[in-house]
Amino acid sequence: MNNYELMVIIHPDLDEEAANQALEKIKDWIVKSGGKIEKIDNWGKRRLAYEIQKQNEGVYFLHYVSMPASAIAELEKNLQILEPVMRFMIVAK
Amino acid sequence: MAEDNYQAASDQGPRGAGNRRYTPKPRFCQFCSDQTLEIDYKNHGLLRKFTTEEGKIRPRRQTGTCAKHQRAIAREIKRARHIALLPFAGGTWEERTR
Repeated sequence: MNNYELMVIIHPDLDEEAANQALEKIKDWIVKSGGKIEKIDNWGKRRLAYEIQKQNEGVYFLHYVSMPASAIAELEKNLQILEPVMRFMIVAK
Repeated sequence: MAEDNYQAASDQGPRGAGNRRYTPKPRFCQFCSDQTLEIDYKNHGLLRKFTTEEGKIRPRRQTGTCAKHQRAIAREIKRARHIALLPFAGGTWEERTR
C-alpha cells in the first residue's frame, strides 16, 4: 500500500448529484482494488489556467488515497473513460 | 565599496553588447534556508513566482535556487500545468488575464 494524491477536475456544468455519482464511482474503484480514501478536499469551482474541453472553469477534488501500486494503471484507465472527469492526476506522496 | 554595490543589481542583471560585465547578485536558495517551505504543485501561488509572465520556468540564474530545489520546482510546475493551475508557456500576458 502506498500513499497517493488523486486530483480530479469535474465538469462545471454538472449538478451536484451527477458530480457526486462520479466521485462515488471513483471511490468504488479504489475500494474494490483494496485501497481506501483517507480524505477528500473539495476545492470548489476554480478558474482554469487554460481551456479544457472548451470550459474555463472546473470543480477540483483532491483525494488522499492509500492503495496498492498494482491498481494504479487500472484506475487511470477507468478515469480516462469516466465522462464527468475533465482532467485527473495521480501523484505518489 | 564597489563590492557592496552588487546588491543593487536588478533581477535580470544588465545584458547586451554594451555591458558585458555581469555583476552577480548575492543569492541563496530560499528553500534551503527555510526548510518549512514546501515545493508542491498545489501551492501554485508560490510556483507562479518561479515562472515568467509568459509562463516559462525561470532559470536558476534568475531565481537563485540550488540545483536540487530547482529540479523540484520544475517538476511541480509541470504537475500544476497538467491540472490547469498554471498556464503552459506561450501566448501573451493579456490573453491570459482576460
